[in-house]
Amino acid sequence: MNIIFIAVNLAFALLIAPVIDGFERKIRARLQNRQGPSILQTWWDLIKLLKRPTVEPQGSIKSLYKLAPYITFTAVLTAYLVVPTLLPSSMNFIGDFIVVVYLLGLATLSFVIGAFSSGNPYAQIGSNREVSLFMSEELLLALIVSTIAVIGKSLSFEQLFPLPLRISSALALILLFVVVYVASARLPFDIAEAEPEIIEGPLIEYSGKHLGLLEYSIFLKRLLLYSLLLNFIIPIQNPIRLVCYLIGIVILSVIYSTFEAYYGRFRIDQAVKLMKKLSAVALVVWIIAVVGW
Amino acid sequence: MGTQMLLIPISILVIAALVGLSKAKIVLKIVSTLSAMASVAMIYVGILGFRTTLELKYNLFNSSSLFTSLNWLVFRVDSLSAFFLLILGILSLCASIYGIKYMEKYFDKEDMRVYTFNYPIFLLTMYLVLICWDLLWFIIFWELMSLFSQFLVAFEQSEEKAVKAAFKYFCMTKAGAEFIILVVVLIILKVTNFNGNYSEIASILPVYLSAHPAMLYALTFALLIGFGVKAAMIPFHSWLPDAHPEAPSNVSALLSGVMIKLPIYMMFRFFLGFFPKDVNIGLVIASFGVITLFFGTMYALLQTDSKRLLAYHSVGQIGYVILALGAGIYLISSGYELLGKVALMASLYHTINHAAFKGLLFLTAGSVIYTTGSRDLNYLGGLAKYMPLTAVSALIGALSIAGMPPFNGFVSKWMIYMSTLPTPTLISLFGALALFISAVTTASFIKYFTAIFTRPPAEEIEAKEVPSSMWIPQILLAVICIIFGIYPFFPLKMISSALGSIGITVNLDALIVYPSIVVPKVGSYSPIIIFAFLLISTLMALLLIPSRDSVVVSIWRTGRSDDLNVSMPAEGYYKDFEEAFSEIYVLGGTSKRAVQKVAKIGRTFGTNFEVLSYDLDSMLSLAMVLILILVVVLGGVGL
Repeated sequence: MNIIFIAVNLAFALLIAPVIDGFERKIRARLQNRQGPSILQTWWDLIKLLKRPTVEPQGSIKSLYKLAPYITFTAVLTAYLVVPTLLPSSMNFIGDFIVVVYLLGLATLSFVIGAFSSGNPYAQIGSNREVSLFMSEELLLALIVSTIAVIGKSLSFEQLFPLPLRISSALALILLFVVVYVASARLPFDIAEAEPEIIEGPLIEYSGKHLGLLEYSIFLKRLLLYSLLLNFIIPIQNPIRLVCYLIGIVILSVIYSTFEAYYGRFRIDQAVKLMKKLSAVALVVWIIAVVGW
Repeated sequence: MGTQMLLIPISILVIAALVGLSKAKIVLKIVSTLSAMASVAMIYVGILGFRTTLELKYNLFNSSSLFTSLNWLVFRVDSLSAFFLLILGILSLCASIYGIKYMEKYFDKEDMRVYTFNYPIFLLTMYLVLICWDLLWFIIFWELMSLFSQFLVAFEQSEEKAVKAAFKYFCMTKAGAEFIILVVVLIILKVTNFNGNYSEIASILPVYLSAHPAMLYALTFALLIGFGVKAAMIPFHSWLPDAHPEAPSNVSALLSGVMIKLPIYMMFRFFLGFFPKDVNIGLVIASFGVITLFFGTMYALLQTDSKRLLAYHSVGQIGYVILALGAGIYLISSGYELLGKVALMASLYHTINHAAFKGLLFLTAGSVIYTTGSRDLNYLGGLAKYMPLTAVSALIGALSIAGMPPFNGFVSKWMIYMSTLPTPTLISLFGALALFISAVTTASFIKYFTAIFTRPPAEEIEAKEVPSSMWIPQILLAVICIIFGIYPFFPLKMISSALGSIGITVNLDALIVYPSIVVPKVGSYSPIIIFAFLLISTLMALLLIPSRDSVVVSIWRTGRSDDLNVSMPAEGYYKDFEEAFSEIYVLGGTSKRAVQKVAKIGRTFGTNFEVLSYDLDSMLSLAMVLILILVVVLGGVGL
């Protein structure tokens, strides 16, 4: 039973993740007084990319360069075994919160190593930014994880979905909301891929199927983080969980893409410092949680 | 037969050391082979030790006047020693085989006898520390171990840096050992009536110390300094980043993989076997652990010398081990029985994991030195093309130390988080810091790996793959990293048996629910399923979306015809992050200056003392004053 649920969830994620991006593009376009492409445009782009041949730069470390996009993609996909999306599956014996955090870390790591293997200096600059941001984001995330673990006395999603209603859990989820935004590589935090400055950074040499896979994994990562956040809020036994979940996804998309439409890009040092400040806030939230509020 | 096995490594290593006194070139091969054989014997002893307790007793002096303790030489291997013997055996096997070819490059430069004699003796003393069952003998072997490892650090005697590092190492560990001697003497004199036998101590000491808390804290204080220095616990770590890089790489692998684990072994013996479990002690150890992992790794991020970077990570990773040990003691004594045991298991698990991946990483750094002669991350680059096997093993080592699933580092780190994070105590914050530092470790090893192996170098470097006697040990350790990551049940069984021998019984059936490791109600992780899914889905993706038809083009150069000629130096990797977190480095800098100031004051004091005690009269009168002060101080203690 559970395996079927997981399969449904995986299929849902694979199908819907690009559609959500299409939806967000539409919203951004409307906010900027444009018509915007169809919601399915991202899918058409992906299909086109996945049909195209790949390019392999001279002087690159071929095996790593070629393998990295696949590992990035599957690392994100593996996280879906643990985080339920459409259906409330409970495959808790596979992993917990920490496993999800590290699988996303694995995705970042292989993404960056692939970029370094391409040999392009812009890819190196972008990767360094990516990793710097990853580290500072992880400080904030680590404090949030420990706050949530203290609140739920557990790290298993079975115990954590949904979080009990407390001041600290509300604050922790607001911070998680920020982390989700930062981790999903959008303006103003798409510093690593900054198109006008370093021409998509780590993605610069990738094209065709590789690029398609990498973009696909970014969309999947966004949906995964949305689901994580929503699961903390929506009660898992709720009969209308499905409806709540879908509405939640739409709301998050709207909020996030509104932010994205109105912001310019941060410099990397600004972003890192912001994360540091938020970590101080997270520390306070942790104290609130330990006190028991 | 079984117990006599204990003597086989000793005899082989003694022969090896005697052979090592000769100058002939063939000696290196003989000594390395003999050491490798002794290592295999150690592994065998380790495996035997898990089955039964081995014991050998010798009555040396046949007199009752000497300390009873020295009179009896007792060797005994229980599961805890066996666990550490396995670490020693595996690592020294790899390091010995690796040394055959690696050490050849020193033939014309250095006196090889320094290596061929000291190397087996160093292995021997580590072995004796692990198998001896008496505090007085322990301290003798311990000091010998420091002494002989110091000679190995100073192997390159033509390099001033190496000699200086060895001197610093020796002074610091010697000073640390004095504290351990104090503890040993105190225990033997005050408590056990001239008996240093571990079993005896374990039966008497806990009761005595529960009644005398002041003594307990005094002993803990001295032990933390003594073992802290050897384990490179911050703030006593400063010898390690100097000493480990200077030793030949296979020796660095042993120093980092095994030697700094021996204080951990003794801490398990003392704090869990001999001492009552106390909340405060646990908290203090855990705090030291978290400080160690935090500063050690943050400083590792700055390094641009490959082996120095690894050395700083040894400090950081030992921090994880110590944090888990302290958290275990803290949690058990404050009522979180199960989580505490998980933390202790995590501590031992991380110990063996660290031995595997850090040994591996030091060997790969050695291979890079062997072929290019460089440790400079700013200069190196693009070696994966020439040294694919070394690159793959370095990548596995890097992924393991970064704690990526499904490699071994993840399992032990995961267990640390499971035990620390969900408790509403300070330990939870420690766990959060450990989680953050894990990301820093990842970043640091992205730098290490890409700077050596993938990034194009500033100028083309000619290199070729190392000979098979060097890559085989690397692959062996890499395989261990993978197996311990995917199938953690076997090491967990060893660990629970090791903990059982110091009186901590772990109910493994509750923790291992195939195919997962489960901490009831807290979390679970199934390495097999995660690995299988990663593998299968990657293969499927490769099949469905194959990228064989790729076109080779030159890299994009912003439209110019010549090369961009920009390459990021290793020191520029995470500049922005380092600047944003500059407070940490400022703190480190300030404390360094403060220590230097104290050292300077000490030196001026010494010089003045020398001047003052120039002639006999003033020397005597000064001595009188000092003795008077000493008497007053001791009198105060007596009160």
